Amino acid sequence: MSVQYTPVIWNRNKILYDTVLLIAVALYLYVFIRIAPAFEDVTRPIDGAILRMRAFGSCAFLMLTVILCIGPLARLDRRFLPLLYNRRHFGVMTAGIAAVHANYVLGWYFNFSPTDKYVALLSSNTSYTQLLGFPFEAFGIAALLILFVLAATSHDFWLSFLGAPLWKALHMFIYAAYVFIVLHVALGALQGPGDPIFTAVVAASVVLVCGLHFATGRMEAGRDRGEETAKASLQDAGWVVAGEVGDIDDDCARVVTLDEGERVAIFKYDGKLSAVTNVCAHQNGPLGEGKVLWGCITCPWHGYQYNLADGRAPAPFTEKIATYRLKLIGATILLDPNALPPGTHVDPILIGAGA
Amino acid sequence: MSWKQTRAAPFFVGYLNMVPKPLVVFLCVFAVCFVGGLGLAALALSSTQNDPGDGGFQWGNRFEQTGILELRPYPVFRVPADGDTPARTYMLAGQGKRGVFEQAEAYKAESISLRGVPVSRGDLTMIQVGKVEAASEDTTGFTPSAPVPLGRWKLTGEICDGKCYAGAMRPGRGLAHKACADLCLTGGIPPVFVSSGPVEGRNFFLMADREGNLLGDELDPLLALYIEVEGEIEQLDDLMVFKADLATARVLK
Repeated sequence: MSVQYTPVIWNRNKILYDTVLLIAVALYLYVFIRIAPAFEDVTRPIDGAILRMRAFGSCAFLMLTVILCIGPLARLDRRFLPLLYNRRHFGVMTAGIAAVHANYVLGWYFNFSPTDKYVALLSSNTSYTQLLGFPFEAFGIAALLILFVLAATSHDFWLSFLGAPLWKALHMFIYAAYVFIVLHVALGALQGPGDPIFTAVVAASVVLVCGLHFATGRMEAGRDRGEETAKASLQDAGWVVAGEVGDIDDDCARVVTLDEGERVAIFKYDGKLSAVTNVCAHQNGPLGEGKVLWGCITCPWHGYQYNLADGRAPAPFTEKIATYRLKLIGATILLDPNALPPGTHVDPILIGAGA
Repeated sequence: MSWKQTRAAPFFVGYLNMVPKPLVVFLCVFAVCFVGGLGLAALALSSTQNDPGDGGFQWGNRFEQTGILELRPYPVFRVPADGDTPARTYMLAGQGKRGVFEQAEAYKAESISLRGVPVSRGDLTMIQVGKVEAASEDTTGFTPSAPVPLGRWKLTGEICDGKCYAGAMRPGRGLAHKACADLCLTGGIPPVFVSSGPVEGRNFFLMADREGNLLGDELDPLLALYIEVEGEIEQLDDLMVFKADLATARVLK
C-alpha cells in the first residue's frame, strides 16, 4: 500500500520474486539458444534469428501459461498466494519477451524487402478467408497489443485512475491474449512438419489452463451453494442466518454468499464480530480469505488493510468498502443482506452479549 | 462444501519481509521446480526441432560464369556446356527479397558475365546475383537449347519461394514461412514447386502459369500448402519448368 505513486515499491519479497523469474527466463533462453542446439539432429543449423524467435516466442507462451495458472492455483491452494502478489511484474516481463519475439520476426521474415517491414507484416499474407494458410501473424499482433496495454496499465496509478471494476475488466483481456496466442501457434508453428514435443507442450498448456479454471469454478460454485444460508425458514424479518460464532477462528472470517451472489466476510476478533464485503477495493481480492493483523482486515493478495468497524483503510489511505449489520441470537449470527455505503460505521457485535 | 480462513493457516503479506516458515519451504520447492522445469522445457523444445535440411548459401564457392540471360518467364541464366559439363540453366534472385528482372531485361539474350553466390539445396541451385556485365570472353555461337516438353503431369507438393527454400532461410518452407514466401514472390523471387514425387529425377520446378507467363496474386491462396495441381512440364537443360494450370489445384492439407 502506498499513498504516492512510484514506479515500483520494492521490498525483499518482490526482489526475490523477480530474481527467481529472471533466472528462470535467462536459463530458458540460454538453454534454448546455446545448449540445446548441440543436441539437435540437423544437417545444417537452424538460422540463428529463427532459433531466437522460437526461443523468445515459446518462452512468452510458457510464461503466460504460468501467469494464468497462478490465479486458480491460489484459489485451490492458498500456499500459491505469494505468487499472485507480484504477478504484474511477471506480466510485464512476458510482454517484453513477446516483444523481442515479434522484433525477430519483423527483422527476419519481413525484412530484406523493398516493402517496409511493417507494411509487409500486414499485407504479405491476406488469406483471411481460409483456415489453412490464415495469416496467423494477425493473432500474434492482437495478443501483443493486449499484452502491451496490460503491461502499460499494470501500475496502481491506472488502477486508481480507472477504478477497480474497469481496471479488472480491462485486465481480463489477458484471457483473450492467451486465446490469440494459442491460435497464433496452432495456425502457424503447429502447421509445420510434425513436432510432437511442441504439440504436446501447447496441448498441455491449454488443458492445464482450462482444467484449473474449471476446477476452481466448480469449487467456488460449491462454496456458494454450501454457504447460501438465507433459508426462508430461518429468516428473521429480512435477516439471514450466517452460521455459528464457533465456526469462525479468531482474527479470521467466514464468507457468506447471499442470494444475489454477493459475498460477505464476517470477521471474529477481540471477542467481537464485524461484516464487510468480501471484495477488496484494490483488485477485488477475497478479503474473507485474509486475516486481522494489527486490528485491520488484511487482504491476502496485496495486503491492503481496512478498519473492521467502518471498512475504511487506515489513514493516510483512502480506500473504503461496504459494511453490513450483524446481530447475534445465542451463538447464531444473523446478517442484514443490505450493504451499507462504503465506509459506513457499524458497531461491532459483542460475542456473549447476544439475546 | 464450505471454506473459511483458519487462525493456524500461514498468512503471507507481501510487504512484510517475514514469510511464514511453511510457506518458505513450499515457495523454495516451487521456485526450484519452476526454474528447472523451464530449463528442461527449453532443452526438450529446442533439441527436437525439425531438420531444415542442407540448404544454404555457398559463401566459399562464389559463382562467376559467362552465359545468356533469358526470361522463362522468370530470369534464368543459361550457361553453355564446357567439356564434360553439360549446359546448365540457373534460377536467379537478387539481394534480399528481390528479383533480377531489371538486369534480365537490360541484358536479355546478350552474352554476359554473371557473378554471385549460389544458394543450394540438393540439386536445386539458385544464384543470388551480385554483378552482371557484358561478357569479356566471346560466347558467340552459343545458342541455348529449346525447352523439351515432358508432357502433362499431376504433381503433389508445396509452392515455395525458390530462394528461401534453396537455403537462404533455414527452414524456408511451411505455413510459418508463408508470409515471407509471399513477400519474396512479390519482390520478384521465382516460385518453385517442391514435388513429393520426382519427374525425370527432379523434385524442384520453376513455376509459370499455364501459358508460360509470370504468376501473380493467384498463387497466394495456395502458397505454402500441401496441394495437388496439374500442368505441362518442360526441361531447360537441367532445370524443370512447371506450367501449372492453377484451375486444377486442390488443397490436400
